[in-house]
This record gives sequence, structure tokens and C-alpha cells, in this order.
Amino acid sequence: MSWRRAVRDLLRHRVRTALSLLGVAIATALLLDMVLLSGGIERSFGRLLVSRGYQLRVSPRGTLPFDTDATLDSAGQLLAALRAEPGVARAGAVLGTTAFVRRRQALTPLVVYGVTPEAQGIYQLDRGRDLAPTDTTSVLLGTPSARRLGLGIGDTLRLVGRLDPRVAAAAVTRLVTVRGLARFVYDAKDQPSVAVTLRLAQRLAGPAAVNRASLFMMQTTSGARADSVAAQLRRKYPAVSINSVADMVAQFRLRLSYFRQLSLILGSISLVVTVLLVGTLLSIAVNERIGEIAALRAIGIARSSILRQVVLEGLLLTVTGGTLGVGLGIGTARWLDAILTSFPGLPAAISFFVPDARQLSTAAITLLITGVLAGLLPASRAASTPIAATLRNDAP
Amino acid sequence: MMPVILARNVDKQYRLAKQDIHAVRGVSLSVATGEYLAVVGPSGSGKSTLLTLLGGLDQPSAGSIALLGQELGGLSDRALTRLRLERVGFVFQRFHLLPVLTASENIELPMAERRVPRAERRVRTRELLDYVAMSHRADHRATQLSGGEMQRVAIARALANQPAILLADEPTGELDAATGREILALFRRLHGDGLTLVVVTHDDRLAADAQRVIHMLDGRIAG
Amino acid sequence: MKRTVKPPFLVAIGITLSATCLVPARAFAQLRPPAPDSTIGIAVQRRFAEAARLRVGDTVQVSSAEAAGWRMALIVAVYEPLPDPSSIMRRDYQVRLHLSDLATLVRQPDRVDRIGIVLRPGIDPDTAATRLNRTAFGYDVSPSRAIASQSSMTFVVVSRFHRAIAVISVLASTVFLLCLMLLKVEERRRDVAMLRFTGISRRTVFIALVFEAAIIALAGSMIGAGIAVAASAAVNAYYQRAFETSLIFSQLTSTTMLFALALSVLLGLAAGALAAWRMVRTAPVELWSRAA
Ligand SMILES: Nc1ncnc2c1ncn2[C@@H]1O[C@H](COP(=O)(O)OP(=O)(O)OP(=O)(O)O)[C@@H](O)[C@H]1O
Ligand SMILES: [Mg+2]
Repeated sequence: MSWRRAVRDLLRHRVRTALSLLGVAIATALLLDMVLLSGGIERSFGRLLVSRGYQLRVSPRGTLPFDTDATLDSAGQLLAALRAEPGVARAGAVLGTTAFVRRRQALTPLVVYGVTPEAQGIYQLDRGRDLAPTDTTSVLLGTPSARRLGLGIGDTLRLVGRLDPRVAAAAVTRLVTVRGLARFVYDAKDQPSVAVTLRLAQRLAGPAAVNRASLFMMQTTSGARADSVAAQLRRKYPAVSINSVADMVAQFRLRLSYFRQLSLILGSISLVVTVLLVGTLLSIAVNERIGEIAALRAIGIARSSILRQVVLEGLLLTVTGGTLGVGLGIGTARWLDAILTSFPGLPAAISFFVPDARQLSTAAITLLITGVLAGLLPASRAASTPIAATLRNDAP
Repeated sequence: MMPVILARNVDKQYRLAKQDIHAVRGVSLSVATGEYLAVVGPSGSGKSTLLTLLGGLDQPSAGSIALLGQELGGLSDRALTRLRLERVGFVFQRFHLLPVLTASENIELPMAERRVPRAERRVRTRELLDYVAMSHRADHRATQLSGGEMQRVAIARALANQPAILLADEPTGELDAATGREILALFRRLHGDGLTLVVVTHDDRLAADAQRVIHMLDGRIAG
Repeated sequence: MKRTVKPPFLVAIGITLSATCLVPARAFAQLRPPAPDSTIGIAVQRRFAEAARLRVGDTVQVSSAEAAGWRMALIVAVYEPLPDPSSIMRRDYQVRLHLSDLATLVRQPDRVDRIGIVLRPGIDPDTAATRLNRTAFGYDVSPSRAIASQSSMTFVVVSRFHRAIAVISVLASTVFLLCLMLLKVEERRRDVAMLRFTGISRRTVFIALVFEAAIIALAGSMIGAGIAVAASAAVNAYYQRAFETSLIFSQLTSTTMLFALALSVLLGLAAGALAAWRMVRTAPVELWSRAA
């Protein structure tokens, strides 16, 4: 009966209740978005990093993978050594460079990834055949490059390597055949990427890149913990940076601390708005019904019951508004995500708004507590109203 | 036999900004079980104030009141509330039903507060509605009832927990003569059924019905 | 680094400075004998100088991921880089070396990232870029304007995001204000009923209610503006300190202020008028009974 009574009490003033609900809904939507945003990108990034099962990255000392143009020297030997380490299940090298495709007069630039096909974590083959480890005549195209070049499986193209302006001629030119179409996991939207074997990429990158790689990716053995393997390798290879997914997420988190702070501030504001809305509505409702409440106290209804009823009403308002707000919040999260994911250079697979069960339940509980707290003040005023005086003053 | 109400030298003063208002002065009163008492007197003579004191809605400035042998002065708010719920029925001039509840829900309310099982509540509510001849309006919201109907529901609510005494402050004050007569008849019946009644009223017919009438004047019982 | 250095100099600064690893000489003085090569000059960023307790005249050793050994470097200057929003979140430090020194250090002699070109007067940068791109290869020529707009893309996105958040906030505060105003006016139910009982005309009551709403809206807006000024100052103080920069993070322009003030006052008035109208239309008896 208490719930039913709360509903009916709220329905006594429809316009007022509807507006308050809308207000709570918008505040909740904002809260939800901010909860998704705070840490959403980290979760998304973390998931992306392990999406191909590689938990560790080795990059030139002091850098993060692909953060700079620096490369690792003696890549072949280093890779062999890493593969022999205990705890390492597989390791592969990647060299990122630029090459061009010459078509008529124009040169189309491409991002070329040189990989060790037997162990690579940067693309997923969609169609066709993967590269063979020693194959220097094959290429895999990403969807944007295939579209831009108008090429498909079986077509051939001429890759023009790192150019040397001094001789005004291409240092290396290779005729390669498209073997397959791949999806590059870390690529930005519309990034024209292709994959070739590491050897070919090193040739295309010019004499300075012989035996060099941008990074190594490693999978740990099923029993080993990625963090302890990383720590152990770090001691053994001080000349390079070894990062676990957690390390990189932490770095990333540092750079994106802005979004966490913003979401904290806006989330708090939305809670304050909820408190104010629910609190004001209930205060006024209690004021209006103070006579009713005094009469209830007179016939023996306990303070606690009065308190409960008012708080219940606040809770009802919060829960209903909150439920509406979830739908609204999902919609606005999509909108905001579409805006933020247009950051240049951001992997297309990243999303800023990622749900996390624990955070969501924390937010839901916080909202409920907020609703209760908002109701508490007017409720206690209602419960402690002096019976005789109120009854007397309430009569006209 | 123990009186239902025993008031001794009850005083009530209100301290306002400038002067003290002495609403009740040295009232001593005993109401026996099954008695039907009417309190009359001019406006401002302290009738309502006395009734609130007797019902434990407010504490006297001086003197003592015992309800069913229990000294009200020593009770906590919680205990007083409990006492009102279980032993005292209140009827107000302006009914004070919850407008969002139906007639039967209003009557059930004090029983729900006492945690009477739902089934029992239903049965008792039906009996009470029958008693006050309101069965046909059981599911109507309080706002949809006429004044007399509201007062009958309010009386049924006051009886819900089988109180030892019914306190009413001008129960016919808002009603026309005919409707007032219905309420009067109801009180008579309650008295006949053995309930103790204290009714504050301006209504001479009501006063005439009572076994005993006390007159108040200037906060004192006159005559 | 993305910032194009102003012409007329043909300047190319730095290849991946962040890959350069700097170690204060004091720490390693005993461990490593100074390299035989001549000492090079280096300029360090103020933030770095402070963090590593370096001063002009100190000697440090520098190396890079590519370099084989260490070189002695003399700190010849401490400088403050132009505040660059795109590098604000990066906590790494910057140093400047002479081009030839850096090229040797990273073992890429005669190699630069970028070359700045000053065109003769009257030549259109776009046309020049197109022509250069067509006739030669090995580099990509872009007008500075295009680079600037590209590198400011991040901020375009961020400001788009901010605008979206602002839209949501304005919407939320609109509803919020409407709601509060309605409640505030409805609180006056009894007084309105009273006034109407005593024969005050609808018009007068309406005007009184709207007037009250206007005062509340105005006072609220003023307080809000005050809070905004304080919050903006706090945000700037906090971030400027956190990132050690002179960049302005929150800018409270008079336009923003006026917009917010006007919006809140207007909304308050509209909501107040709406609520007041609803109330004076209702019969006073009903107002009273609903209040009780
Ligand atoms: N809470 C209060 N504060 C101040 N004065 C009060 C209060 N309650 C009652 N009074 C005063 O006490 C006196 C008695 O009031 P009371 O309401 O008991 O009279 P009454 O006999 O019930 O009158 P009526 O017949 O008009 O209902 C009056 O002068 C009244 O103004
Ligand atoms: Mg009275």
C-alpha cells in the first residue's frame, strides 16, 4: 500500500511530477554517460590491446608502441632471444613504415606494416590467404587501402619504398600480389594500411632500417603472469621498454586524465541536481500535506512510518526518473561517442563509452542513495511536525 | 473501577512573543469507562486544547493526565504514539482522511500500522464499513465522498484498532443539520455498544445526547 | 614539435626528441669517463631543468636509442616552449639540439623530418604545394595552413565534445529551472488563494507572482554567475599548475556569461509566468482545498 500511496501522491500534481521526472531523467542520463566515459576509453583500449592475445609489447627505450618513429636495432637477434625466454609463448616483430603505390603520375602513400606472419597481433585476416613467413612478393590490403587503390585479391601492385630525395629516385621498388584482405586492429578510421613480411618492409624502409623493428609483441605461456614475465624481461633487457597491457593502459589513462576529471565533475553535478530536484519537490509536497501528516500522527502513525513514506516517494521519483534516464543516457552516449571517436589517429575500434558492471552498479546505488538523502530532510521535517499546533493551524 | 481518563490540575500555557496565553487552567477531570461526555463552551475557551492534552497529542504545562491508568507525562513520543494507535480513536472536524486513498484503504491504515495481517484487516474493514453504513462506497477515493460520508469513514478509521476511548473535536462542525444527525446517531450507537466518548462540540443536540456535559470558560471547567 | 617554426628561417627541429634519453652528468660522472668528442650545446625546457635541477653551464651526457655511446653536452639555454595544447597531456620533456648534433646522435646524418619553405611574394601556397608534389617525390608538401588545421583537429573534436556537453547541460538546466520555478510558484498556493479570497484581482496576483519569479531568477543567475567565475578560476589554477603551462583551460567570455544570464532569467520568467498563469486560472476555493 505504501508504494501505491506514493504513486498516487505523486500523481496529485502531474505537471510538477512530470517535470521533476524529466529533470531526474536528464541528470541520470548525464550521470550514466559520465560513468561510461570515466574509464570507458581505458577499458576499450585494454580490450583492444589483448584482442589478439598478445599481452606484452617491446618498444625502443622510453617510448610506447608507435608513439614515435624510433626503432629497435638488431631486431632479428633480439626477437630470437625473446622467443627463447621462459614464459614467452610466441613473439613477433612489427615494423611500421611508409611506402607509395605509383599509379600513372601520382604516388599514393600507404602505411606499411612489416610483420612476422607466424606471430603477429596487428591484423585479422578477413579473406584470402595469410602471408608466408619468407614471402617477399605478397601483400595484404586493409579495407581502406583496397578501396582507395581499387584492388582486390590476385591483383598486383608496385610498392615504392622509402624515397631518397638526393638521388630523386625510388630506393626500392617491389612488385607484389594481393593475397588477402585484412582488418588492422589498431588502425584509425580510413587509414590506408597494408601488411607485408618484415623482411620486405625493412627493404622498403631503406638502408637505415635493415634489421630494425618498431616493436615486438609477445604472448606469455598460459601458466605465466604477464606482469611477472614483463618484470623479469625488463631486468634482462634494460635497453628496451617492455610494457604489459596494464602498463600501457596506465599510460593512456594518464594522458586522458582530462576525461576522468570532467566525468567526475559532471557526474557530481548531476547528483547535486537530482538532490535539489527531489528535495525541493518533496519539501513542497510535505508543506502542502503537513495537515494530513499531523492527523496521521494523531491517530497513531509512527514517525518512522511518516519518514518512510516521504523517503519512499523520493525513491520512487528517483527510480522512475532514473529508468527513463538510462534510455536517454544510452542515446546521448552514442552521440558523444561519435564525436569523440573522430579524434585523429585514434584506433577506429576504440569507444569512449564502455559499460562496466561494477561501475554501473556503483552509480545506480549512488543514485538511489542520493534519492534517499534528498528525501531525508523533508521527511524528517514531516515526521517531527508538532501535532497539535499543526492540526490547529491547518484549519482555515 | 479505573477511569479511562484521569486529569489532575491540568494547565496549558502558550508562550507567544509578548504574552503568555493560558488556554487551560487547573482542569481536573475523570471519565469513567463507557461514559459519554460532551465538552461545550465559547470559542477560545480551551476545549480543543484540553482534548489534545487528553489524547496525548501535546504535553500539559502542569498537572498530570493518566490514560487507562498510564501517566502520559512519563511516556516517550514513541510510546505515546503507540498508545494513540492502540487505545485512542480521534475524529476531527475536518475529517483528515488521506485523499489519495479509498474509503477502505483509509480505514485499513491504522491496522496496517499495527501490522494486523491483511486478511484480518479486510474482514475488520468490511465490518466497520457496514457499521457506519458506507459499504457501498468502499472503493471510492476520500475526495469523492460527501462531508457526512467522509466523517463516517473517519469514525470507522478511529474505531479500526478497537480503542478504549473516542475523542472527537466538533465532529459535526462542517456538516449540515441532517448529516450531523446521522453522525449523532452513530455516536449514540457507539455509546450503546459500550465505547467511552469525549466529544467537544458547539452542537446542542450532541450535548443533549451525552450523559454528562462540562462547560468550559476561560480555560476552566465552569459548573 | 608540430608547431611550424616561423619563416624566414629554414629550420628543421628535432627528430623524435622524445626518443632522446638524457641523463644528468652529475649522476654518471664517476661511472663514465667523458667521451673524447667535443662537447655539444643543448637547450633544455624549463620544466625539465627544474625537475632535473639543471642550470645553464651544467654539463650532461646525452644519448639516444640509436646512439652507440654518450656525448657530453653543455646546457647553453633554458627555454619555455610555446604552450602547445596538443602536448599538454604528455609528461615527457623537450630539449633542443643543433640539427647536425642531433642527426649524429640519432645516427641519421643528413636526415630531417620537415623542411620549412618561405615562398616569394605573390606565389600561392596551394599551387606551389601541388606543383612540388607532382614534380618530385620522396616528400609530401603541404601548406602550413593545412598542417595547422590538421594538428588542431584534436581540439576541434574536443570543442565539439564540449559543445555537445553544453547542449545537454543547457537542456538539463532548462528543465531544472522550469521545475524549480513551478514548484516555487506553487508553494504560493495558499497565499494566492488568500489574496483571491480577499478580492485581489487575477491580474495583480499574476503580476506579483511573475515579479517574484523574476527576482528569484535574477538572484539565482547572479549567484550562478559568481559560482561560474570562481569555478573557472579554480579550473585554470588547477590545470595550469598540474600541467605547468600558461595555457588557459576555461575561458569565461562575456558572451558566454551574457548567454547564460539571459537564458536563466528568461527561462525563470517564462516558467514563473506559466506557473502563475496556471494558478490564477484555478478557482481560489480549489487552490485552498488542494493546499490543505
Ligand atoms: N498553538 C497555540 N499557540 C498559541 N495559542 C494557542 C495555541 N493553541 C490554542 N491557543 C490559544 O488557546 C486558547 C484556547 O484555544 P482552543 O483552540 O483550545 O479553543 P476552543 O475552545 O477549541 O475554541 P473553538 O471553539 O473556537 O474551537 C485560544 O485563545 C487560542 O488562541
Ligand atoms: Mg476548538
